[in-house]
Amino acid sequence: MNRDELLRSMNEAIVAGNKAAAAALGAEAVRSGADLLEVIEKGYVPGLQRVGELWEQGEYFLPELISSAEAMKAAMAVLKPELDRKNIEARGGGKVVIGTVEGDIHDIGKNLVASMLQAGGFEVYDLGADVKLERFIEKAEAVGAGIICLSALLTTTMTNQKRLIGLLREKGLRDKYKVLVGGAPASHKWADEIGADGYAENAVAAVKLVRAMSGVD
Amino acid sequence: MSLPLLDFVKTRTVLLDGAMGTELMARGLPQGTAPEAWNVERPGLVKEIHGEYFAAGADVVSTNSFGGSALKLAGHGFGGRTYELNLAAARLAREIAPAGRYVAGSMGPTGKFLKPQGEFTEEDFAAAYAEQARGLADGGADVLLVETQYDLREALAAVRGVRSVSLLPVFVTMTFNSFPRGYFTLMGDTVARSAAALEKEGVEAVGANCTLNSEQMVGCVRTLRASTDLPIIAQANAGQPVIGQDGRVGYSQGLEDYVRFVPEIVRAGAGLVGGCCGTNPAFIRAMARIFNNKERS
Repeated sequence: MNRDELLRSMNEAIVAGNKAAAAALGAEAVRSGADLLEVIEKGYVPGLQRVGELWEQGEYFLPELISSAEAMKAAMAVLKPELDRKNIEARGGGKVVIGTVEGDIHDIGKNLVASMLQAGGFEVYDLGADVKLERFIEKAEAVGAGIICLSALLTTTMTNQKRLIGLLREKGLRDKYKVLVGGAPASHKWADEIGADGYAENAVAAVKLVRAMSGVD
Repeated sequence: MSLPLLDFVKTRTVLLDGAMGTELMARGLPQGTAPEAWNVERPGLVKEIHGEYFAAGADVVSTNSFGGSALKLAGHGFGGRTYELNLAAARLAREIAPAGRYVAGSMGPTGKFLKPQGEFTEEDFAAAYAEQARGLADGGADVLLVETQYDLREALAAVRGVRSVSLLPVFVTMTFNSFPRGYFTLMGDTVARSAAALEKEGVEAVGANCTLNSEQMVGCVRTLRASTDLPIIAQANAGQPVIGQDGRVGYSQGLEDYVRFVPEIVRAGAGLVGGCCGTNPAFIRAMARIFNNKERS
């Protein structure tokens, strides 16, 4: 397989959500001594971007999105040890702490955002659902994350997104983190009102937002 | 002996109830508490809400058991109390239901995913719904309402689970998003596909609820009508949640704007109509006035 074929196949494997193919192509790249950063940036990542477009166009839905994210993660699992061995730093997006706020056990949307961020090269610390607000801050401090993502599905728990920002202020940490909010009841207006740094309507938009916030784009 | 609900549906537009969760919260349900716990801990308040909906003119109320599947309750540590909490839910609604009115046993989604996206099998889901259905049926529900489903596979598993323990009629509502290409669930199921599969599974009524506001619901009901001959259920949201000046959460579609589209929802083919998020007994009262005027004329 020549270089262009390899890159095109990688793109297609992600768009098709084909985990086995994505991993096998990664192994092929390692074996043939291909430029691994190039295969990520020009092979897999454009595939993931295409998946985002198909989602936005209403062609792809949640199952396709999850399959593609899984394929991307499978490819990275093959490439990462090789990159580490060669001391090559993949162009990562940094560290993100994510969770559903306390009082709220809904986690479908949050899981999807976490998965897509991970596929997009971010180091994701997923605290789960019904997460005490203090824990977001403790974790972000502990791992040195730059971004905190808060999910809430209920109109009653979304106020905890606001409370977290207040808590950061109290601790004098507000400027240290970008706080992004999401979930069915949230909106741009809500994000503005509570002084959050951003809002994303869906998982694809969330990845774009986090990339922009962390200076990847 | 009053008319079975399925026969009643043939006689006129059936009025369902509106939101339950926000009514519970208005009565002090603490954040993070499973609403179903109140069926045992604060039965009087749950009954009061049902009573208000009946008083507003609802023909059918839905039990306080939306999150009452065994899998969902397990998230609150109540998995072992599934039967008890659902039994209580149905009993409360039954006790306050006037003669000739009906109780629908509400069964919302598990919040989990089937394989390959998630960890669960269809059998797991069927079992989780079956345990819930047993409680609701024993508590006196007239019909079991599998509602707000975003995955057709889960809805079908739910129906099978319910059928394995009960002979009651089963209604299913799916929640659709509006896209330029039409209405789709989160998992990408279309209205036509959902209606056809549920009809084949033998459910007695299908419908749409949540997500869409009452204006958007009109088109969705039309699509449903073109897809099935079954009775159609429609329960729209009152728009999107918005934050008021006082910092309290409200909904973008006011009562008047909401009910303006109700006659169109009925004309589009819905035979059972009620509200979802953002609605309350006042919405149902306004809808009752519309239906009564229409039926008198």
